[in-house]
Amino acid sequence: MNYELNDIQKSIKENFKKFCENEIKPNASILDAGDEKAVELLKNNIKKLGQLGYMGMIHEEAFGGTDQDLINFAIAGEEVSKACAATFLSAGASCGLCGMPIRLFGNDKQKEKYLPGIISGDVIGSFGLTEPQAGSDATAIATTAKRKGAKWILNGTKTFITNAPIADVCLIMAYNDKEAGPGAGVTAFLVDTHTPGFSIGKPFDKLGYRGSPTSEIFLEDCEVSDDAVLGELGKGFIQAMQTLEYGRIGMATVSLGVAVACMDEAVKYASVRKAFGKPINRYQEISFKLADMMILTDLSRLLIYKAAWAKQMNDPEAAVLASCAKLFASEAATQIASWALQVHGGYGYIKEFPVERLYRDAKLGEIGEGTSEIQRILIARDILQKYGS
Amino acid sequence: MEFSFSEEQLLFRDTIYKYAKNEIVPLCEEADLKSEFSFEIWQKLARMGLLGLPFPEEYNGQGADVVTCCLASEALGHAGVDSGHLLALGAHTYLCTDTLFKHGNEHQKKTYVHKLANGEWIGCMGLTEPGAGSDAAALQTTAVKKGDRWILNGSKTFITNAPVADVCVVYATVDKSKKHAGITAFIVEKNFKGFSTGKPFHKLGVRASTTSEIFLEDCEIPEDNVLGNIGEGFMYAHQTLEWDRSALLAPFVGAMQFMIEQCARYATERVQFDKPIKSFQAIQHKLADMKMVMEAARLAVYRVASLKDAGYPINHLQASIAKAFVGDWGFKVASDAVQIFGGYGYIHDYPVERMIRDAKLAQIGGGTSEIQRLIISRLLTL
Repeated sequence: MNYELNDIQKSIKENFKKFCENEIKPNASILDAGDEKAVELLKNNIKKLGQLGYMGMIHEEAFGGTDQDLINFAIAGEEVSKACAATFLSAGASCGLCGMPIRLFGNDKQKEKYLPGIISGDVIGSFGLTEPQAGSDATAIATTAKRKGAKWILNGTKTFITNAPIADVCLIMAYNDKEAGPGAGVTAFLVDTHTPGFSIGKPFDKLGYRGSPTSEIFLEDCEVSDDAVLGELGKGFIQAMQTLEYGRIGMATVSLGVAVACMDEAVKYASVRKAFGKPINRYQEISFKLADMMILTDLSRLLIYKAAWAKQMNDPEAAVLASCAKLFASEAATQIASWALQVHGGYGYIKEFPVERLYRDAKLGEIGEGTSEIQRILIARDILQKYGS
Repeated sequence: MEFSFSEEQLLFRDTIYKYAKNEIVPLCEEADLKSEFSFEIWQKLARMGLLGLPFPEEYNGQGADVVTCCLASEALGHAGVDSGHLLALGAHTYLCTDTLFKHGNEHQKKTYVHKLANGEWIGCMGLTEPGAGSDAAALQTTAVKKGDRWILNGSKTFITNAPVADVCVVYATVDKSKKHAGITAFIVEKNFKGFSTGKPFHKLGVRASTTSEIFLEDCEIPEDNVLGNIGEGFMYAHQTLEWDRSALLAPFVGAMQFMIEQCARYATERVQFDKPIKSFQAIQHKLADMKMVMEAARLAVYRVASLKDAGYPINHLQASIAKAFVGDWGFKVASDAVQIFGGYGYIHDYPVERMIRDAKLAQIGGGTSEIQRLIISRLLTL
């Protein structure tokens, strides 16, 4: 047992902190505009993160990665998301949600085709599971893959797909055999976004993460070959669920980053803002809120590290620990964002201060990668399986 | 960053858990109901070496590290041992005996640690006074040198184990004008002239631990019974805080796991509207929240322990985070557990009733939740 960062982890934290503060954070509010300029900045951020090695931290050396411990990735991720949550989300959707299943289930040809680009930041990936009628209940997806000669014909609609408007490749989950059910009848396809029959909707106008473009994907007789099939036929749903275990740690990490950014802003503001003749951090109404921010961010971080460690060790508790970390960190983040805005008073409500954006960003943590409600169902299921008899 | 326990630690934990479940837990409900400290339970804890865990074998201890001490306390809580006896254990081992061991001279250690570590004697710590709780440095008990003796006058309150203790580490000031720097620790035996205790308090929770006032009326202390150096007492008291915020919190973490298991079982057996209540999401979500809090609490507690083992003296931030979280969020866990049991949770026949009463103490004892936030906010806004 050791609760301290090792030397490598300390230097990761330091390097990423410095880089993100100088290179990513200054553009965060410009990205938030969500316009064309923002998209260019985002792509540029992803390339810079590629050069820094971030995109390859969870990938094999053979394809340009550095194959690091998941805790190291979380340490770097906190710094990225602290600087700009939208950048974290798009980078994570590419190297994590899309790149991780390629690493875990792809063949060498697929890995060679996609991973070097994803790792360098030149290729952007996305993950297409959610559909208009299939959110928490992902087994309800209606997208189909029909066999036609040596080809697969995909039809259906995906929605809320992070990176869809800027992606080069998208992992699409579709039923190839509805009868076989989700466990054996869903297959994951790696679809190049320029494939005929693949199109996207207008980017959504979102509450937060406005710098990370999101849209629908339309598949209309979209034709792909067997080369696009990721791993085994029929294993797509299971692959998606395994990917989401990593995704949950990622969503917990970005929630932590947002929460820490809120805390930093609140601590700073409360030390300079004066009321009734003294800085407002001299009032317990304010300073105890700051203390609670510290308690919750600190424990979110420990839960994330523990979940990352458990995943790395193939611990049987890994899935439930990822759910605990995601649930705790995301709900902590919305609470902390609300407190931080409150500490700022009227100034927190206007765009001149970063907490306005952070407050909007925080909410996604409770929704993306499995809502808080789904995490509670998963955790309770685990408890009842163990002790409910 | 590495979260595993050693094989040896896990084996020890499992042994304690099984022993406690079979030998101790059957005695706890009655002790709690009667608000009685059980010497039978105490002797069983002694038999397992649990009253002297962190001390070297030459002082009748077990030579355990802090993480192992926490594992033992967590296992006892997990098995269902009442928090009263576990508080008694905590005050005895970590607040009294460890202070004697750390700051005592060889003669004092031989005299006291020996008998305390094997459970022959019971120890307590006397810091809090009627007018000095959160503001501990405001204590009024005085110590005046008279020949080769010290004369103590004052009163202490909320002293865990006082009614059953054989020896107490009493904090008194030798010079009020020096504030913190006047506070000195004295080793006071129960039969010293002028030492007496009040009637045990009737408490909300942790009822099987006995708590009372201590009265010092021209209490005469031999010169040899000054602990450590004059004027360093406040520092010694301060050093016990890391125990307050680790090993003394571990039973509450264990109790959370106990409640999760009890609630899962009850929710499976209890049928309403023709199905077990575990099938209702309102119940499931409470269980999930309990588990989430327990995981975070466990990490917070073992971090303090692990840093203490690594030789970092006092980690105020980490210790206060652990204390505030286990106190405030742990209380919610106990409240949810009672809620899942409904009316049955409100009566003593079911084991979660005492949990909510016991859990309240973690928000108060060893530094209130408010004091933890004061400490954290000071560190944040320095």
